[in-house]
Amino acid sequence: MIPTHWFLILSAVLFAIGVCGVLTRKNGITIFMSIELMVNAVNLTFLAYARQFHQLHGLIFVFFVMAIAAAEAAVGLAIFISLFHHRETIDVDEANLMHW
Amino acid sequence: MFEFAIFFFFAAVAVIFALVVVLHHNPVVGALALVASFFALAVMYVLLEAPFLAALQVIVYAGAIMVLFLFVIMLLNLQHQREEPTRPVQQFLGYTGSAAFLITLVYYLVKYAAFQSLPAGPFNSDVRMIGTELFQAYIFPFEMVSILLLAAIVGALLLSGRSVKANAE
Amino acid sequence: MPFDPTDIALSILKIVIVLGALLNVTPIMVWVERRGSALIQDRPGPNRVGPFGLFQSFADALKFILKEDIIPEQAHKWLYTLAPMFGLLPALTTIAVIPWGLPFRLPAKRIFGRMFFEGNRFFEPIVADVNIGILLIFALASLGVYGIVTAGWASSNKYSLFGAIRASAQMISYELALTLAAVSTLLAAGSVKLTDIVWQQTQYFYIFNVIKIPAWNVFSPSMWLSFIIFVVAAFAETNRLPFDFAEAEAELVAGYHTEYSSMKFALFFMAEYMAMAAMSALVATLYLGGWDIPWWDEPQVWWASVLTMLFFTLKVVFLLLVFVWVRWTIPRLKYDILMRLGWKVFLPLAFVNILIVAFFVAKHWI
Repeated sequence: MIPTHWFLILSAVLFAIGVCGVLTRKNGITIFMSIELMVNAVNLTFLAYARQFHQLHGLIFVFFVMAIAAAEAAVGLAIFISLFHHRETIDVDEANLMHW
Repeated sequence: MFEFAIFFFFAAVAVIFALVVVLHHNPVVGALALVASFFALAVMYVLLEAPFLAALQVIVYAGAIMVLFLFVIMLLNLQHQREEPTRPVQQFLGYTGSAAFLITLVYYLVKYAAFQSLPAGPFNSDVRMIGTELFQAYIFPFEMVSILLLAAIVGALLLSGRSVKANAE
Repeated sequence: MPFDPTDIALSILKIVIVLGALLNVTPIMVWVERRGSALIQDRPGPNRVGPFGLFQSFADALKFILKEDIIPEQAHKWLYTLAPMFGLLPALTTIAVIPWGLPFRLPAKRIFGRMFFEGNRFFEPIVADVNIGILLIFALASLGVYGIVTAGWASSNKYSLFGAIRASAQMISYELALTLAAVSTLLAAGSVKLTDIVWQQTQYFYIFNVIKIPAWNVFSPSMWLSFIIFVVAAFAETNRLPFDFAEAEAELVAGYHTEYSSMKFALFFMAEYMAMAAMSALVATLYLGGWDIPWWDEPQVWWASVLTMLFFTLKVVFLLLVFVWVRWTIPRLKYDILMRLGWKVFLPLAFVNILIVAFFVAKHWI
């Protein structure tokens, strides 16, 4: 059996890589993909704890997180498409006005 | 022993492809690398005795969400736009900030996350148990998530369509 | 962790059998397709290479190997080369969870003074009997989109990209109808494992308490709608006519594999036929009773198991012939009609189907 803290360390590494992506990149889609990476790291943490304490609540929570992440991805990409129609670029530094 | 080999191999795969996502300039390569990373994470979920969620991870994340990402990237022709390099000060702060975050997190995890050994007996996480849990204790969030998904579909359709006013003239 | 050498040896044997069968599907299907289409179109078909043109596949394979392998200059080299391998992934992996024979007891034998197979060891003719069964098939089949999308994008060609986006949009639309239609068989069997689904179909229905028909899912009226939806969605998933707008010859040149030559094109070709075979095996398992021989309670011995494997192969062959037959009979659907069918007709029908089957199962009518 693999000890639980190894999964937690892997989850921490993936989360930190996601944070790095959000902070350093300018392409909106790449930032969004880094956010999805962070969400998956958190899913891994939930499942590690669910196995540690033999509780199903962790799995149900991850189930709901996946469903909501799907909804969030759809709406987020629709926002990007709408931004692209108006600005012709997906660079987040260009989206700096409250109204165009 | 075999489990440790699988864990290390797929953990390495997940981390390496995550780095490709964050560092490569082309978003299409990044999206495909993220798919590979999700697949490796699905293997991790199997190691954590949650095979149902591993299948769900591949179906929902790798099979649907990332396809949506790839569609948007390709339809908007984003791979041909060369992204301007980030300002050096932002890059430096970003890398050092996330590295400091990682080191702090791992340090405290290794120091304080000492769990007692796993409880004896198998972890009853098959499809039947999850279904029972979902439809008995968690029925309200289940129905709410379906309404949320409906709201997300309607919102995505409205946001991504061209403005109706321009077409009505 | 103690490794059991007998288990490993049996697993390797199963993998060799399954892969050998699957990899040989393509040459045989190429010949069947060309002779079958010739039969339907009232012309001879390939009959020069060997008797009845049986060695045509060898000639084709030789041609593919010897052709020059061209990579377009603008193409993204890595993804262009990896795309056909992504296409092979779902076909090769979904076959791992499909049961292809009756499990039988291995008798204890003494060979060269050592005792083999002592105890209650069963040979389960399924490569990986996982607890989540059919969910693994859905998961791996949904990865089939990536081969097409990567091929279309990496070719750096407008027509390839159009074909790829159309094909992937079609595949993900019909995946929903496929999954929801298969849910009705899960409801009838009460389990997600494919072995349980097949065991449930070895029972019998009794009509008027006299006539005994095998409880195959295709024979129960509540499953007919889901059978139709599943078969149509299977056609759409494998990009076969009447849903092959993505590869539409004479319209998009060759769709997403326009820029591919020699062995990479052969890999796409193989991937399509293997996906057809895997999907036929899945239809046979879910609806046609899998390895069950009708009206016979098979004893769990080796010769009955071999007979069931033969029967399963017959069912898969029948379904592959149906695939070929439909291809040369029905014209291609226009793309917007195809998408409209997928979302506005098959998806609501699949939902209604779940309601109907759930009602029947709750009332124990099945």
